[in-house]
Amino acid sequence: MSAVSKSSARNNSLRGKIAVIGIGMSPVGKVPGKSPLWLAADAAKKALADAGIQKREIDGVLSSHAMASPFHRFSIAFSEYFGIQPTFSNTLQVSGATAATMFNIGAAAIHGGLAETVLVVAGDSLLSGLTPELALRSLTESRDQQYEMPFGIPVANTFAMTAHRHMKEFGTTPEQLAQVAVTQRRHASRTPGAQQTKPITVDDVLNSGMVTTPYHKLDCSLISDGGAAFVLTSAERAKALGIERPVYLLGGAECYTHEHLFLMPSLTTTGAVESSRRAYAMAGYGAKDMDVAGVYDCFTGTVIMMLEDLGFCPKGEGGRFVADGQMTYGGQIPSNTHGGLLSFAHSGIPGSLFHFHEVIAQLRGQCGERQVADANLGLVHSLGAGFATNATTIFGTERTL
Amino acid sequence: MKKPLPAPDADTAEFWRGLRNGQLLLQHCGDCGNVQYYQQGICRNCGGENLTHRPASGRGKVHSFSVVHRAPGPAFKGDVPYAVLLVELEEGPRMISTYIGGKPDDVTFDMDVTLVCEPINDEITLPRFRRA
Repeated sequence: MSAVSKSSARNNSLRGKIAVIGIGMSPVGKVPGKSPLWLAADAAKKALADAGIQKREIDGVLSSHAMASPFHRFSIAFSEYFGIQPTFSNTLQVSGATAATMFNIGAAAIHGGLAETVLVVAGDSLLSGLTPELALRSLTESRDQQYEMPFGIPVANTFAMTAHRHMKEFGTTPEQLAQVAVTQRRHASRTPGAQQTKPITVDDVLNSGMVTTPYHKLDCSLISDGGAAFVLTSAERAKALGIERPVYLLGGAECYTHEHLFLMPSLTTTGAVESSRRAYAMAGYGAKDMDVAGVYDCFTGTVIMMLEDLGFCPKGEGGRFVADGQMTYGGQIPSNTHGGLLSFAHSGIPGSLFHFHEVIAQLRGQCGERQVADANLGLVHSLGAGFATNATTIFGTERTL
Repeated sequence: MKKPLPAPDADTAEFWRGLRNGQLLLQHCGDCGNVQYYQQGICRNCGGENLTHRPASGRGKVHSFSVVHRAPGPAFKGDVPYAVLLVELEEGPRMISTYIGGKPDDVTFDMDVTLVCEPINDEITLPRFRRA
């Protein structure tokens, strides 16, 4: 861990100003009979208990829309359900990157005096409340009605076409894609409550049936139920509360490059290059300094491309990097140590929050047998809508400030 | 189960009219020379509104593709497997389409393709591509 350019971090930035003081997660996977609001509330209760604060101390709530919930203003419906009346709130929507934006906006609101203690919370019930068929249709129907949908372009297809082009340009193989799923399944086998824990092989992935080339069923993330919640407050207040192991937001940045897949500037280099560059600059650390990562993994190829764009390996080397064991324990950057969207759970926006939960738990040293030794700096990358939205978040322990 | 069809709006009515007449219209900006797909009220490059529709040559290359084996909803179940294409038009812009006139497995990267206008009903004609 070397401070590569700490001095270059802007003085007025959010770096180190905001701490995560509580984290919580509902049961995940198949959770029948529980609404998105209950899943969110269960996670929120746990996050508050973890922080050791009462619900009346929450004055800000940021959330995301739940596909299985009728409420347009989910953050408002949540606050009523949870019995609080916040004075700062919003329901955000930039697909998979929403998770990161909740942290960024929550941190900025605290720093700017709009709120003192912000609850970041989301819950959804894609498996039990919506059914897999309806969840996929709903995602598909979020594509453009005139220029994409009439051609029967599944949500997987936007990501499939980027991965396919990556294979053509850099020689990335189906076996290397499969290795991402195999590695993450191994990670999930050590995560209590993970939805899929049975070990799989590269052959299992390749024989799991084609969904849309080059993706087989096991190259695709799960469809799940579940919620997650976090309590953010100022570094000063975290100290005053006597929080034992606050985790600090060191860098947060976003990049939005297009809406339609056909206007994506490059199919193989994404907005993650810019979002991570800005997040590293704010944090004053680089890719080489990171001890653990949560990398959005809607599909296996997504992880390979992101490991490149986040600077963990050169462009085009992602497949070899993964096959060489560099994304697991003992490698360069242990990633998705909970199993990720591919094996732990994917309940929509909360799925992306699970990466935050895992990386923060790693930095607090709470991951038991899957703990990454001496983890002090962690990165989470969230993305969505066929790489249209990208956001990188960097966290650190007290000693990284 | 009916397939989703485009509902032309104020920005795009002329584009869909063009397809009905067998032409794929691209917008050319008279101020900066930008050529754009899809149809907008302003130029994405310079913001100008001096836009002219001109028919594309219909020639392009397959920049990427994905053969769909599991349909996105019941409307497309009868069509699988089919190849969704990201076509790079000769004029520069890229567009999403589907491959017709051959087996989806025949599609390759950078393959030359040609526009085929396929009428769906009285109002809508979809732009598809076949091997050149």
